Amino acid sequence: MTCEFLKACSADPMKFLGEWFVLLPALVLLMAAGAAVVMRNLIHAALCLTLSFIALGIVFIALGAEFVGFVQLLVYVGAVAMVIVFAILLTKPERLTKSVSAFSGLGPAGGAAVGFVVLAALLGFIFTSPLAKKPLPTPASAPVADIGQALMGDYVVALIAIGVLLTAALVGAAVIAMEDKP
Amino acid sequence: MDLLERAPIELKSWFLNLLGSFGVPQGILSVLSAVIIIGTVIGVFLGLFALMSVMERKILARAQNRYGPNRVGFFRWRLFGLFQPVADGIKMITKEDLVPRTSDRAVHFLAPVVMMIPALLVLAILPYGRDMVPAELDAGILYFFAVGAGTEVAVFMAGWASNNKYSVLGAMRAIAQMISYEIPLVMAAIIAAMISGSLSPSAIVAAQGGFAWGFVPQWFVLTPWGFTAGLLFYIAALAESNRSPFDLPEGESELVAGHLTEYSGFKYATFFMAEYIGMFAVCGLLVTLFLGGWQAPLPFLTIIPSWCWFFGKVCFVAFTMVWVRATLPRLRIDHMLAFAWKFLLPMSFAAFLSAACWHYAGRGPLAWLLSLAIVGIPYLILGTAFTNRFAISRRTYQFSE
Repeated sequence: MTCEFLKACSADPMKFLGEWFVLLPALVLLMAAGAAVVMRNLIHAALCLTLSFIALGIVFIALGAEFVGFVQLLVYVGAVAMVIVFAILLTKPERLTKSVSAFSGLGPAGGAAVGFVVLAALLGFIFTSPLAKKPLPTPASAPVADIGQALMGDYVVALIAIGVLLTAALVGAAVIAMEDKP
Repeated sequence: MDLLERAPIELKSWFLNLLGSFGVPQGILSVLSAVIIIGTVIGVFLGLFALMSVMERKILARAQNRYGPNRVGFFRWRLFGLFQPVADGIKMITKEDLVPRTSDRAVHFLAPVVMMIPALLVLAILPYGRDMVPAELDAGILYFFAVGAGTEVAVFMAGWASNNKYSVLGAMRAIAQMISYEIPLVMAAIIAAMISGSLSPSAIVAAQGGFAWGFVPQWFVLTPWGFTAGLLFYIAALAESNRSPFDLPEGESELVAGHLTEYSGFKYATFFMAEYIGMFAVCGLLVTLFLGGWQAPLPFLTIIPSWCWFFGKVCFVAFTMVWVRATLPRLRIDHMLAFAWKFLLPMSFAAFLSAACWHYAGRGPLAWLLSLAIVGIPYLILGTAFTNRFAISRRTYQFSE
């Protein structure tokens, strides 16, 4: 067994690494996401969440979706993680040590029940959706140029709508923040 | 000539063939090939960092009419103080590693490590010469900015884990600055990508190849939109790598040393190193996007190997950054952010429009005039508005009066 493993490894290590490479970030992703839920210290939880964002990006890249992986890193690590961290920093510091939860009164059993219901609902939707019955498409590497063509061609209205929405949100945030100007 | 041009590649394949003739399996060789490339790139950039750390002091000293470091040498031979980085290294390693008692130890330890990772990773996509790209990626430019986003996390970790008010304030300033200046930086990069029709750095370099009328290089910086975008990229790159005049996060007169306050010894050296390597990487991207990458500036100069041109240009851009540091005073935080949002951002939109018009007007003389007008008019309007506003307005502090 070990000998076979070594032989496969030395014959073509790049291919071997490529096949097994996806498992490592996936494992990191699960562990980091779990830690983000369990951690008492909010900043540590946020940092674990950031790690899970990074791991998710690497999973995308390992699966051949380069563009999605890079965008995941750029948007989630560069922007969303920073927003979360700042939101934590700007709230009152004594809350950092207390556990904050909307379901604190329910206790761990209540939390588990809520989680189970959400999971069951999600699984139900996933398995009954028409997408689940479709056969898996053959994995095709989508060149960035094709993605760009699709975004600027077929989906251009959606892209512009999202752009307008985000701009409106940005302007709104600026207006709210400007309130206490002298 | 051709031999020198391909020397690094030939040397590597010669070495691998030699090992192959001794019966080393092909799989190990392919891994070894990757290791050689990674080792060379990291080695070259560490060498550049060492050189920069002494040259920066020398150039600053020259600008300030003094000698700068010139004592450290090897026994009798002083060598203009070029051994200064060795002395610095020994000092940094032997220094005591202080960790505040109330700090968050794990995060405090991890911050310099996390800082170093993106600085090294972004080096993978730069085309160092003809056929010399460590990782040929379709979306190389996107990769550069995606990986670079990790720096912000590291800065936050350093600031927060130190449990020091100056550290947190410095980190918040640094992150605000990075997020603000990332937008003009990315916009400028998008312009170059748009004109060459690709996000791949090698394709962008290839699009700048050739000479007009036999001697004028086709670099993007020599067009109105390219000059504007290149300048915007340069200014934003200064801010992204926390260099003067945008080095407020570490402004010692107000924040001790920002997020680096509670770091000493080797951890501090790691931060320092990551910042300098990041600076070289962003200089390399600037060279790739606007200064023609590894292309020679004149046809007869192509006898000099392409990788020499690349590193020569990178060193030149780094030199101008030191020059700027010697010349300009540090900005104030509100001026700096206003500059990013009210001047650089509109100008980057103008450059974007100008590049689009240049392309659709046929890239001829008419396109030249049109794009010059589209860049020039907003510059005049914004420039006068900006100078008037900051010349007249006097800041009144809300809580001090």
